[in-house]
Amino acid sequence: MIQIEGVSHTYRTTDGRDIPALEGVSLEVREREFIALLGPSGCGKSTLLYLIGGFLPIASGSVRVHGTPVTGPGPDRGVVFQHFALFPWKTVLGNVLYGLEKLGVPRDVREKRAREFIDMVGLTGFEESYPSHLSGGMKQRAALARTLAIDPKVLLMDEPFGALDAQTRSLMQAELLAIWHRSPKTVIFVTHDVQEAVYLAQRVFVMSARPGKIKAVVETSFERSDPHIFKSKAFVDKVDEIWGLVRDEAMKAQKGRPF
Amino acid sequence: MARLIWRVAPWAVVLALAAAWEIFAASGAVTPFMLPRLSVVLERIRADGASGELWQNLAYTLYRSFAGFFIAGALGIPLGILIGRNRAVRWLFDPLISVGFPMPKIAFLPIVTLWLGFHDVSKITMVVLDASFPVVTAAIAGTMSVERELLWSARNCGARGAALLREVVLPAALPQIFTGLQVALPIALIVAIVAEMKMGGVGLGGAMITATRFADSPGVFAGIVEIAVAGYVLVKLMAVLRRRLLLWHPEALAPATV
Repeated sequence: MIQIEGVSHTYRTTDGRDIPALEGVSLEVREREFIALLGPSGCGKSTLLYLIGGFLPIASGSVRVHGTPVTGPGPDRGVVFQHFALFPWKTVLGNVLYGLEKLGVPRDVREKRAREFIDMVGLTGFEESYPSHLSGGMKQRAALARTLAIDPKVLLMDEPFGALDAQTRSLMQAELLAIWHRSPKTVIFVTHDVQEAVYLAQRVFVMSARPGKIKAVVETSFERSDPHIFKSKAFVDKVDEIWGLVRDEAMKAQKGRPF
Repeated sequence: MARLIWRVAPWAVVLALAAAWEIFAASGAVTPFMLPRLSVVLERIRADGASGELWQNLAYTLYRSFAGFFIAGALGIPLGILIGRNRAVRWLFDPLISVGFPMPKIAFLPIVTLWLGFHDVSKITMVVLDASFPVVTAAIAGTMSVERELLWSARNCGARGAALLREVVLPAALPQIFTGLQVALPIALIVAIVAEMKMGGVGLGGAMITATRFADSPGVFAGIVEIAVAGYVLVKLMAVLRRRLLLWHPEALAPATV
């Protein structure tokens, strides 16, 4: 369970100005729940994710994961980044092995476990490939395998499919759901794609334009095994409803910018 | 066929220059003292090789270059990474590097001679002084451009402190650090030769100065050709080593040049 109470965050730009990114954000994520953080770009949704990850200092408010206040990064919270952040000097296998090595998993066990997760994300046969030789979708599969292999209780995903082409993205979405159904984890999924949020998450947290606040929480539980879910009226209505909420914020965020 | 031409082309230029040298020197436009024929110079190199003098000079010069180069690397890489990672260290060293980098380090030669004498220690010190700057600056730039997400990924798995530097920062910065080393190695060779010329003694530079004193024109030109070949081999070896070390890098797919 993740409890966030009254979290605010301010960025300092290189020319010394303070930009409020988050203001008084409070939310609770249940055990093994899949939630989406949705909002226009620059609304602080990634910042919130990094605060939960322990990568940024928490200046005001509190973030607790399973009752423990977050003070730094840890393997209980696995992160998947938009641009993969794979170690380019390690092979796919080497990347997946790294986390297991750091966790002190015995040598013979970690090799077997790494191969299991590489198989799970469908990269069998590419164990010895370097990331620079893989496509975007394959890189994100490798990154996902690396994160899943350390068996985090919480999965923090920062627009993980944002850099992929449309076909690869919808394929990866379906696979993520399949993986989640097999071994449910608490997932916080940051995205600015309404349809992606509605399809993946059980609840969608809509954020306001900067400084980011939680504007609305929308329940979005569907029977996702239905291949025609995207065409169902209930789904389309839900996307429309949330799109209405996001559009206002996107327009606010655009104000004062030329385009 | 076209590929063969491209492979041969660089050598054709070298051969053409060599032929031009031979013909011009033999034409009588200049005296053999001003410019001895290439064939005479090559014969001199062969003779020096046969007597073992060439190998002794080469060994001393390479020893000084490599000793200085390795010390510069061993000091420069960790220092550059520290400067890149730690703001306090950066403040401490930034003025030193900004002032020291553009400064002609060879100007310190009289001081180094005063302090350390005429022997290898001062020659190697000169090489270290000059070769460490490109290594340090490349290591700083490489370290500072390591992606935040890469560090976060490692910290997420529990990597901290020195392990983070060794396992993530060093390999991530390696392409740039290696570029610094590739700049530093020819500098090391240059400084070793200049130091030998100023301080005298055994070595390619020292041998050239001795040849000049004895008005031994072929000996001077032999030195030039020897240095050119040694430099070429060193630069190419570094390029080969780079491809080996950076097999993972996208550039490994492109042909190696420098």
